[in-house]
Amino acid sequence: MTYAVLFMVAPHKTAMALKGSGEIFTRMGFPLCLVFIVMVLMDLFLQPGKITEFLGKTSGAKGLLLSATAGIISIGPIYAWYPLLKDLREKGAADFLLAVFLSNRAIKPFLIPIMISYFGWLYVLVLTFFTILGSIAVGYCVGNLVEGHLF
Amino acid sequence: MKEINEPLKVLVPAEGPDLKSEVGNRFGTSPYLLIVDSKTKLIEALPNPGVSGQKGAGMQAVALTIGKTVDVVLTGYCSPTAEKYLTASGIEVIKGVRGTVADAVDRYRKGKLVFQASETGKPRGRSMDLPDAFAHTLRQFARILPMIGGVILLIGLFNAFVPRALLRSFFPGGRGMDTLLGACLGSIFAGNPINSYIIGGELLKRGVSLFGVTAFMVAWVSVGWVQLPAETAALGGRFAIARNVLSFIMAVVVALLTVVVLGFLTRGTY
Repeated sequence: MTYAVLFMVAPHKTAMALKGSGEIFTRMGFPLCLVFIVMVLMDLFLQPGKITEFLGKTSGAKGLLLSATAGIISIGPIYAWYPLLKDLREKGAADFLLAVFLSNRAIKPFLIPIMISYFGWLYVLVLTFFTILGSIAVGYCVGNLVEGHLF
Repeated sequence: MKEINEPLKVLVPAEGPDLKSEVGNRFGTSPYLLIVDSKTKLIEALPNPGVSGQKGAGMQAVALTIGKTVDVVLTGYCSPTAEKYLTASGIEVIKGVRGTVADAVDRYRKGKLVFQASETGKPRGRSMDLPDAFAHTLRQFARILPMIGGVILLIGLFNAFVPRALLRSFFPGGRGMDTLLGACLGSIFAGNPINSYIIGGELLKRGVSLFGVTAFMVAWVSVGWVQLPAETAALGGRFAIARNVLSFIMAVVVALLTVVVLGFLTRGTY
């Protein structure tokens, strides 16, 4: 409806917006397929008890490392991963670790060379260090807030 | 496989209040507890008292189940503690159950769902086969993709209608304000992070402080107010709002720390 109204007011820009959205959809194709396959494989081979063991509230440092690493290496836009995260949560993954995953997506190893070319290696190193620390802190606070422990 | 003909009361934790709802993955925290007779007729749909997930909430679900004198529980997962109390009350617990509530009860009635002991003697349910896994994942996607589609269309509008020149005018100067405004701006943008580097580089050239540019780039990838509806649909409102608010604060703090430490390391040449 919004697009229809805007098309009457500014057809060129609306067409550009639609084209841009189409490009985003296309870029999402591969990550979404990847997410779909991972979810099917999880349903086939992983029982909920295993999810809780690796990503549950008591998974400890192992769970933290797994979710942080998964966040860093995950590709595609953040919303492509929502279905998988929803599924993991329902199977017993802790909110804290899901938040760590989402926050660590701020770090993109394959884009670091590009960032270095703009801002220099020292800047990228310091930024990455503080982003990882910040992501863990955010994850910890989100986990406790959602469970009602902080307030 | 022996069909079950005697009348039984079956309790199934579920995502919704009717027989077409998906079987809940966790007994203690699924939104509803459905009580169904063995002829797959819904007797009662109860809100699960354990849905909050807080400590001790799962035991409320156990107490309710025992109080309703059910004969069997069909669920995705049940904690060992909850299972111990249920089986001690004479309730059979079958785990690893998937699909809709109606389908699960029907399979149980036909004897296709049975209590199984593993080699360690611990109980386990049957795992999903490929068509079930595929169908389950497809249903999950069908629920969330419309929301994601809406978010992407909104992002397209934003990228097309907000010119880059407007972004520079957004920054008044000053470390504190630039950092805060950089985080605000980054949190309403979305898309490939490379775009944030390009825009950040241009803002830097036009005199915006590194504090503002850093907060902008960190918020771009970690905060997403535009995709909040999709995140809420997937992970709940409380999670989505908490994560985005805290990530916004993180973007500001990380920007301040990064530039201050960088200045210290390079003796102010940054």
